[in-house]
Amino acid sequence: MIRKIAFNLFAWALVLAVAFPLFWMLVTSVKPQFELFRRPPTILPETWTFEHYIGLLKETNFLNYFWNSIILSTTTTLIVVAIATIGAYSLVRFKYRGRETLAFLVLFTYLLPSVVLILPLYLMLVQLGLSNTITSLVIAYTTFALPYALWLLRSFMAGIPEDLESAALVDGATRLGAFRDVILPQLLPGIISTALFTFILSWNEYLFALVLVNSDEARPLTTGVMNMLVSSFNIEWSLLMAASVMMSVPLIIVFAFLQSYLTRGFGAGGVKG
Amino acid sequence: MADVTFSNVQKHFGAFRAVQDLNLDIREGEFVSLLGPSGCGKTTTLRMLAGLEFPTSGEIRIGDRVVNDVAPGKRDIAMVFQSYALYPHMTVGENIAYPLKKRGVEKAERARMLKDTADMLQLTPLLRRKPRELSGGQQQRVALGRALVRDPKVFLLDEPLSNLDAKLRGHMRAELIELHRRLGRTMVYVTHDQLEAMTMSDRIAVMEGGKLQQFAPPQEVYREPSNRFVAGFIGTPGMTIIDGALSGSPGAWRFDAPGISVEARHLGPDAAEGAASMGVRPEALTIGTGDTPATLRLVEQTGHENIVVVSIGDIRMTGRTTPDKVWSPGEEVMISIDPDMPHFFADGPNGKRLNAKPSPRGNEPSHSLSNLSEVSP
Repeated sequence: MIRKIAFNLFAWALVLAVAFPLFWMLVTSVKPQFELFRRPPTILPETWTFEHYIGLLKETNFLNYFWNSIILSTTTTLIVVAIATIGAYSLVRFKYRGRETLAFLVLFTYLLPSVVLILPLYLMLVQLGLSNTITSLVIAYTTFALPYALWLLRSFMAGIPEDLESAALVDGATRLGAFRDVILPQLLPGIISTALFTFILSWNEYLFALVLVNSDEARPLTTGVMNMLVSSFNIEWSLLMAASVMMSVPLIIVFAFLQSYLTRGFGAGGVKG
Repeated sequence: MADVTFSNVQKHFGAFRAVQDLNLDIREGEFVSLLGPSGCGKTTTLRMLAGLEFPTSGEIRIGDRVVNDVAPGKRDIAMVFQSYALYPHMTVGENIAYPLKKRGVEKAERARMLKDTADMLQLTPLLRRKPRELSGGQQQRVALGRALVRDPKVFLLDEPLSNLDAKLRGHMRAELIELHRRLGRTMVYVTHDQLEAMTMSDRIAVMEGGKLQQFAPPQEVYREPSNRFVAGFIGTPGMTIIDGALSGSPGAWRFDAPGISVEARHLGPDAAEGAASMGVRPEALTIGTGDTPATLRLVEQTGHENIVVVSIGDIRMTGRTTPDKVWSPGEEVMISIDPDMPHFFADGPNGKRLNAKPSPRGNEPSHSLSNLSEVSP
């Protein structure tokens, strides 16, 4: 009994520690400027205001950055999921020499610190004439999201019984047909996990965006907001918090929609033994 | 006319020879079992017939057509998998109709065929359920339904009953026999269970180590096993195989093993002096009377009979008796071996059968007390 209470207390303490900064972000974003630095601080704002949000949307480049981030993350996710799905299928289903070595090498690239890769990648992208574009970031993010995505999907793929595909082939499907009718629906939880991982990674990435993109047209939210609101002399706390809240919204929406898929469909009883 | 033909088929996985020199003619409408222990090549053979594996060399025909390079979906076969391989995200109805959909059968026609199949297998109330909501027996039916629905030329069944409990297995076995009779289609059935093979097949192909050992009707496989492996594999309780040696000359052979010496009758022209083995089916052994002393080791009461294990020195033999005989382990009993019934095999684990063909007398159970065996001192 005491153990249970202690465990619950611990769990709630942990939740609080994680949730408080988020709460503070939300609260700060709706406080008027003069209330921000008051001592003692007010927990709930005395006056509620949305002036920071309006200011951000109307008077800054925020929407432009936001749009860039959406395009960037969505494109990266689509590319990574498409390549990783087909790659994982190949690594699991086809037997060829060096298959395991290949899988291991792919993982090895993920182990390299990204800082090591940033300069060679920058130089290559400059030579390709892609510097300062969203495309350059899509390529960069794909290079480091793909290895992990491939491994994630490979383990999901390995969990799909080969008999299912054989059955579809005997039933008259082509290999592609069997892939679409039988493999993809079974792989859905894996695809969603991978998509979430990639989307979050591209949405939050900062370092590559800072180095590879230096123009407002192509800047994503992370570097855009920093550039706009944080300078050596001043930090626009209210605007920063409002921007942070709006940056979190897409992720919250995506999670709310997809989290049920993440656990659904595991170990569905189509195959016995 | 042969419906399915394997000609000199080989299948190698790297250095491993899964199937070697396979020649098999399966007649139209025949129920053929591929029987053997795991790793004997039976499943590989079936998968080659299905088009899921490709032979390294040789030729496979279905009807008149060489199918070596034909995709599985174009071979006019249907297959039931050991795991059932039902599509988990589709309902029972969608599962069964899937092969029709893939063959472009029209929607109304599809619904009619689905209904016929579901009615036949009593699946109609389950059509909207998902496979995971069904019991093992029901899943098995759905798998069967998916194979039946489009009336293929050849049915392939890969150990379809092995995941069912014993009672249901017996029931499904009877249903499959009935189904085969009604449809009259060629069926190729893979199993490691010799009882299934014996009860269901028109002919059994016994395989071991990637090689076909014998291809014959069940009774022939039982009565005239082509070699020592087949003899030991078929029959429950199994045949007792005793290593020893043949001596003598044609017409007057003897078989000797430590503690046993018997006249070896009915040997064919292949018999020769030297190491050999003798196979004794339980029904060739008489326990309780005879002139060979033995020690009783074990009595298993099955209800309608007793399975009795006796030993002579290091040799253990299995026999059956009526259930009214009461013995206790350790007891000394007299036994005899019917001299017309033993099988003799050449040396080695796959030693050829040496008896003359056809056997002078079938291996009917016999309790004849004449011609009792003798024991060496």
